[in-house]
Amino acid sequence: MTDFIKNPVVALPERNPAPHFSEQELVFSAEEKARIARWVSQYPTPDGAVMWVLWLAQEKFGFLPPEVLRLVATELDIPYAQVYGVATFYTQYFKEKKGTYVLDVCTCFSCQLTGGCDILHYLEEKLAIHAGETTADGCFTLQEVECLGACGSAPMLQVSNGPFVYCLTKKKVDALIAALRAGRMPGFTSVTLPQDEDEMGGNRRTDVESTIEYAALPIAVRTR
Amino acid sequence: MATKAGNWQSYQRVLLPPVKDLHKLSIYGDYAALRSVLTHNSPREVTDIVKRSGLKGRGGAGFPTGLKWSFMPPVDPAVPRYLCCNGDESEPGTFKDRQLMEYNPHQMLEGILIANYAISAKACYLYIRGEFADWITLIETELAKAYEANLVGKNIMGLGFSSDIIVHKGAGAYICGEETSLMESLEGKRAYPRIKPPFPAQSGIWGYPTTINNADTLACVPLIIERGADWFASIGAPTHPGPILYGISGHVNRPGVYEYPSGMLITDLLAVAGGMRGGKKLKAVVPGGASVPVLRADMIEGVTMDADSLHKAGSMLGTAGMLFLDEDTDMVAFLRRVARFYHHESCGQCTPCREGTGWIENLVTRIDEGQGNTRDLDLLLELCDQMEGRTVCALADAAAWPVRNTINRFRADFEAKCRQSVWAAQSAAA
Repeated sequence: MTDFIKNPVVALPERNPAPHFSEQELVFSAEEKARIARWVSQYPTPDGAVMWVLWLAQEKFGFLPPEVLRLVATELDIPYAQVYGVATFYTQYFKEKKGTYVLDVCTCFSCQLTGGCDILHYLEEKLAIHAGETTADGCFTLQEVECLGACGSAPMLQVSNGPFVYCLTKKKVDALIAALRAGRMPGFTSVTLPQDEDEMGGNRRTDVESTIEYAALPIAVRTR
Repeated sequence: MATKAGNWQSYQRVLLPPVKDLHKLSIYGDYAALRSVLTHNSPREVTDIVKRSGLKGRGGAGFPTGLKWSFMPPVDPAVPRYLCCNGDESEPGTFKDRQLMEYNPHQMLEGILIANYAISAKACYLYIRGEFADWITLIETELAKAYEANLVGKNIMGLGFSSDIIVHKGAGAYICGEETSLMESLEGKRAYPRIKPPFPAQSGIWGYPTTINNADTLACVPLIIERGADWFASIGAPTHPGPILYGISGHVNRPGVYEYPSGMLITDLLAVAGGMRGGKKLKAVVPGGASVPVLRADMIEGVTMDADSLHKAGSMLGTAGMLFLDEDTDMVAFLRRVARFYHHESCGQCTPCREGTGWIENLVTRIDEGQGNTRDLDLLLELCDQMEGRTVCALADAAAWPVRNTINRFRADFEAKCRQSVWAAQSAAA
């Protein structure tokens, strides 16, 4: 374990941040309003559409500061407290500004046992940030997340709530970071069923013999 | 050797058919089972067929699906009824629904429509976890095709039945896989589970009668209609029949989703998954997702993947997401990660769970980091007693079971770590 990883992380977010967006920016376009109206029509009450609208707002603004939540509440005509409650309940809604690319590394048990923690620490070293932080150039945010439902292709990570990158190795991580820096998002990868492998060749990780340095997260990550 | 799974070597896959056969299937086509149901059967008959097939829920609890449908109150035209398809697959070690949505989405959609017909539902909310953004796009595309072909929507195939499928995107909360919590989430609230009763069939989403089924369960329904309840009931273990998607992960050579009949021997499944990697010995198996009790390698001889056999062996079927651990696995570190998961995912509604999961994580972490004491183990077990059965939903139980069983079944590992701790060194010096 290197000294870098041993350093504890202590940084609390601002409690009452200054608004990030001006009044002029805080509007939904006609096309977005049409999408919202379609979602609202699919539920008996407008509340049901709140998760979809929050997704839309996150796509548009990048993250969900209080003023954006207020916009969503006004748009759906529901209390701000309810929107705030929903936005803070779910982990995929970003409450603070994140990097251009958010790397969600899974370390839940299937990934832990196959080297997910190694990948997380490799990324920490490579980007010189701890899990939960953003790089100085605002390019990457690194996060440790719970099971992403791809245990058969462990270890894996997700890029910006979008594509999954499977069967990670250090080499694959290097290639991914280089591609992202050049602005190329990974595409959708289909996972081959083992029972189909003879026909499809398969996309299994090749270095199954690689050793695992960290069985669990080291102390530093825990002392937040 | 004859097992409950019968002649599984020659089993023909039906949920995730071989890739080379995919194009031959009805998946981009005709929804034949739905057509036959709408033409020949009353909703009541469909429920009876599913009941006779013995189909049980694939989401973890294993409740008989036909029986669940029959709990819906009599149809009242003034009260809309809903179906929820649970695709919020978040249990660690479980990854079958994602594969199903990718490979065979139309079978699931057809199953949803048949279920909608059986329970006379106005619409189905298909809840998919937010992390599966790519699969949500995929399902939406396929659903749009089905709408275009008039296989979903108003007056389906001109046979007088109307029903919608609405995709709902989650946003990253394990608890939404719990049925009442899923309903709260659909209603646009924080996903706190509700107290049962009233059960969803009486008062579900927005207070309307609702049935909630797993995506995998619903994908089995068209097969039952097409090939008959008896055919389905004859696959695998008689008490839990049908094809099962075994999600195999961990230290095996060929991890992934395997489709086989229920009632497969655990040892057979390990063999089809290519055995332990690096030729190592098996140490433990988690047979059905993070929450089910872990089995030691010496406990799996002759155990089959069905509820009865696993119950006898001291575990549960859960979601059939199997994790194999090799001899080098540190069980304390393993349990620490499981405890951390439940601490993170506890919704915070009930105190025993919100606080208990945190204390479990703290205690296991302390032991793992070499600061533990042997009495911490008994404290952990006592803590489990205080959590089980004392909360609104089963998350507290799910968090307590792995702790209790991992400690009981691997106590030597835990004690060894405690003996190396700083406290042990101090007392030895004194």
